[in-house]
Amino acid sequence: MIRQGFILLIALFPFVSLFLVAPSMEIGNVEYIVHTVGLTIILSGINVWLATTFAWWLLWTESRWKSVIEWLVFLPLFIPMLATLFGLYLILAEVGLIGTYIGVILALLVVTIPYSIRLAYNGMAVIGRPLLEQARLLPMSRRVVYVLYPLFSRMMRTIALFTTVILLSQFALIQLIGAGLIPTVTTELYQSYAGNNRSLALSNTWMLILFPVVIYFLLSGWNRWMVRMLKGRLQ
Amino acid sequence: MLRSSVALSILVSFLPLAALFFLGMEALGTDWGALLTDETWRDSLFTTLYVVSVSTIVSLVLGTWVARTVVNQRWRFTSTILKIPMFVPHIAAAYLFWLLFSGSNGFWGIESNERDYVTVILTYIWKETPFVFLMMIGTYEQLNRGYVETAKTLQLSPYAQFKHAEFPFLIKPLLDSTWILIAFISFAYEVPALLGVTYPKLIGVLAYERLSTGLYLEATEPYAVALIWTCFVGFGVFVSYVMTASVRRRIERGVRR
Repeated sequence: MIRQGFILLIALFPFVSLFLVAPSMEIGNVEYIVHTVGLTIILSGINVWLATTFAWWLLWTESRWKSVIEWLVFLPLFIPMLATLFGLYLILAEVGLIGTYIGVILALLVVTIPYSIRLAYNGMAVIGRPLLEQARLLPMSRRVVYVLYPLFSRMMRTIALFTTVILLSQFALIQLIGAGLIPTVTTELYQSYAGNNRSLALSNTWMLILFPVVIYFLLSGWNRWMVRMLKGRLQ
Repeated sequence: MLRSSVALSILVSFLPLAALFFLGMEALGTDWGALLTDETWRDSLFTTLYVVSVSTIVSLVLGTWVARTVVNQRWRFTSTILKIPMFVPHIAAAYLFWLLFSGSNGFWGIESNERDYVTVILTYIWKETPFVFLMMIGTYEQLNRGYVETAKTLQLSPYAQFKHAEFPFLIKPLLDSTWILIAFISFAYEVPALLGVTYPKLIGVLAYERLSTGLYLEATEPYAVALIWTCFVGFGVFVSYVMTASVRRRIERGVRR
């Protein structure tokens, strides 16, 4: 009991800081919130789609290149993120994508996709090939809607959540690839911290913490509603 | 549609390797002698090694211990609560720790923005322990209890029980977690920039600032440092996986049977 209490205390104690200073309630320019929401939706959608399809392919492929491709996809997990970012900066500068929304999305996709594929592949491997065998006979759209989505909606939620957290953690990436032209809640937090505006920095911290929470509950509700609706259609 | 999605995933996954190639090309003009003897980089390297070692080792030990305890004691509620820090963005976690230890709030003699990087280490431990926990809990849940029971029947010490009946099965997730943490912590910007000091900076912060500050825009050093560090991590990954390959294969075969 004492051990359990101690572990819980350590896990929750830093949240005390949220109540040490009163957060600022002034929201003048909402551009950075719009950017953050936009990037979160686009990036989560792409990650869920690419990771699920790739994990499905990896589960079934008989290709002799399977292990090589598997390594290639998981290898970026072991490359320091900032090193990847420096290299991407050079590549994107060559093709003129620095300071653009597409450049930022591409860079964020590069750093998030290995985690998403890993989550998707682990999720599918747990269920295993024998149980999913029959779903292969269905056309792609019905397979996704009636089998993959209901089975893996939790996994998809986790991918979206992880993507959001990684996206919200990026200051250097968004600042360098976005050339300072694409403000997000993260860049605002850093600037308010640098400007010694504690209450504004705290309100941005609140936002950074609440973003994943809101996404978790929204996706949970959406998944529950969708699965109930799909079950109703099948009856 | 499936094929084009798979091709796109492979293409995106290939970009980090292409990025390394570009890093190499850009680092060609670096004066390596000057870089290796530069005191600023050297001090940053030692500080980084210290921060990475402490954060990684403590996170691995704590994460493994908590996973073991949660599974043995069947603490479902604790297991759920423990995952919460993982869903707090790093920069927000750093600011929480900054508030906790700054000015009059600093306690136990620890303050944010000091040369020992204690708050940076604490932030990483708080953030990464749940990650290690998540990597280990799956293995612990699937662990064949028969091995532990046998070890107990043989009256082995608790350490020997862990060494022979648990550790061999943990090698794979431990290796994965170790290198993911090292790659992540060693060359990052956000947390050490918020909680660190102006000298010595961690190499990620120094490299990023030299790259993005107008004063150093023409410098190739940040690219060279990023490349060296990636090679260092890559070499470690390669050696550790090759050295443990036979053990891991044996365990996987045993588990499948």
